[in-house]
Amino acid sequence: MGHLFSRISPQTLRILALVFVLAAIIFFFSTQVPNYLNGRLFNRISSSVAIMALIATGQTLVILTRNIDLSIGSIVGFTAFATGSLISANPDMAAPLLVLYAMVVGAAFGAVNGILVAYVKIPAIIVTLATMALFRSALVEFSNAKSITSSELPLWLVNFPNTVLLKFGQFQLRAGFAAALVVVLLVHFALARFRPARRFYAVGSNPEAAEMAGINAKATVFAAFVFAGALAGLAGFMFLARFGNITVVAGLGFELKSVAAAVLGGVNIFGGSGTVIGAFIGAILVDLIDTSLVRWELVSEFSREAVLGALILVSVTADAVLMRRLIGLRANREKKLARAAINAQNRSPEVSTPKQAGETST
Amino acid sequence: MKLFKTLCIASALMVSASGGAMAQAISLNGGEDVDMVLLPKFLGILVFDQANEGAQEAHAELNNPGELLFVGPTPENSVAGQIEIMTTSATQGQGAVMLSNNAGDQIVPSAKAAQAAGTKIVTWDSPIPSGEGEDVFVAQVDFGSIGEVMADMALSILGGEGQMAILSATPDAANQNAWIASLKEVLAADAKYSGIELVDTVYGDDQSEVSYNRALALVDKYPDLGLIMSPTTVGIQASSKAMQDEGLCDQVKVSGLGLPSEMLSYTLNGCAPEFALWDFRDLGYLTYYTAYGMATGQLSGEIGETFTAGRMGDYTIEEDPGRPGSKRILMGPFTVYTSENVEAAAN
Repeated sequence: MGHLFSRISPQTLRILALVFVLAAIIFFFSTQVPNYLNGRLFNRISSSVAIMALIATGQTLVILTRNIDLSIGSIVGFTAFATGSLISANPDMAAPLLVLYAMVVGAAFGAVNGILVAYVKIPAIIVTLATMALFRSALVEFSNAKSITSSELPLWLVNFPNTVLLKFGQFQLRAGFAAALVVVLLVHFALARFRPARRFYAVGSNPEAAEMAGINAKATVFAAFVFAGALAGLAGFMFLARFGNITVVAGLGFELKSVAAAVLGGVNIFGGSGTVIGAFIGAILVDLIDTSLVRWELVSEFSREAVLGALILVSVTADAVLMRRLIGLRANREKKLARAAINAQNRSPEVSTPKQAGETST
Repeated sequence: MKLFKTLCIASALMVSASGGAMAQAISLNGGEDVDMVLLPKFLGILVFDQANEGAQEAHAELNNPGELLFVGPTPENSVAGQIEIMTTSATQGQGAVMLSNNAGDQIVPSAKAAQAAGTKIVTWDSPIPSGEGEDVFVAQVDFGSIGEVMADMALSILGGEGQMAILSATPDAANQNAWIASLKEVLAADAKYSGIELVDTVYGDDQSEVSYNRALALVDKYPDLGLIMSPTTVGIQASSKAMQDEGLCDQVKVSGLGLPSEMLSYTLNGCAPEFALWDFRDLGYLTYYTAYGMATGQLSGEIGETFTAGRMGDYTIEEDPGRPGSKRILMGPFTVYTSENVEAAAN
């Protein structure tokens, strides 16, 4: 057990801790809410988290570089509306083109944020606070007080998110969730394995050192905002497909939910560490708590927000304490191992000294 | 009891007779110069834009050389934005502010300040709950009758018996809360509604995604739910879509207040067999006539005053039965939409 334990990376440990918290929350609500644990719950959460998963992924990229994107909800709203009006004007448009359009529009908004933050050097919280309002007002202008309704949209688009790909009894794997999952996994593995993507971590953990190491920190921050915009655009497309009815309030409040999901998922708000899978589980947690609270008799409509806030706080605390425990345990174990090694060394100095020298020279 | 009833009818007749005899409808003179502001809950919602169209129509008809501004807050800033625009209007010396209140009684101090600066405050769609800082409220329909219409739709959809839940907009919306209260009253008052059980009220914040998720949560929470009643155009649409997406339309129906153009497909496929609404263009038109009359001093705003509102005919200022001490003008009536008439109205 100990052997396996010390081989797991801290990131994986964090994800395991999150899964544990998730299981604990599901268990808690299953004792409180009748008819809770079933396939229907899985279908509800998976279909609704598909959109927030993409947004939280984008938010994670930005937070990794020590920034924040508060305009992401407005970008989702704008792209949902713009994509909707494009397809209702050209109903025969091909699906990949439409998705591309949504991502390009989102990326363009992201580029505005990126230029202001990376090159003009205005703090991200100020820039995106301003663009949150600006992009939302742009949507109000653009929409001309009309709204998009699902009857204007082609059937393939409306049917897409709820198409059942696989079925195990009541459990359904739906296309919307599957698509989001694929994107999340792609970004996760790119961040973990792909060399250029590691720059996000480098810039976030120490911008000066990254700069010294020859990384273009400005371009990296800019890229983070553009990718976040493109992912928000994709989320806008999914939003359009799922809800069909798009008004100017589309995506309102998503910025805070996505930050909550990322932080719950163990993404360090000061940049430099965290995983996309973690943020994804964070998004599931937020959605699960939110949905379950509506079904919980004990909580009235008016105290729900407060309970949601408290539960998020408890989850983050539980996660942090659990993490510290696990890391502490591991450090202790490593210390013991090191002590054992030193003891062994003292007993036979002539064997271990040359080996150590060899290690340092390589 | 019978005597009391007769007395009531007699006195009602007397009041209406004396009202008719005393005040001929005032016909408003056009051409007076007065700047006015039409202030919706927030921008970007179709019904408010329709109200603006109606107000612009009246503005042109009355040949007002002044300006009619259609300004509103952005959605995420509705309450603070409304208060700010109200305050600015007072300093600009606007003749009248026409307000669809989304700020509850929080708007009162700024509205009172505007009144003190000589600006008339005419509310429409959603009033100031306490009535303070408000000259008159132009009510789209009698708030009591909204409860009745919703109860009747519920009765016919549920076939007399079943569980119903309400999906409203925000917990602060004065109009929504008044309608829900009226629905509860009607349900409790008449024995024919005794089979309908109102199980819950939830709030979708007038956002598609929140409303959609709340509707599904209601279905999960109450396995025997038969009807979701949503007195808001965003909520009724999102609930209908949620029920359709999850294949629940046979089990759970949706009703409430909706726009025919947005509800067409759900009404035809049976997810939302009946819903109701009034004409927002007419509401904007009538509100403009009222505000213009008061801002130019042609109307005093006293109870019993009758005036002619252009193409819509005569209206009388009366006491608001839902808010004692406040004044209202009642527009009415309702249109109930079913598969028979929804197509014609949608186009």
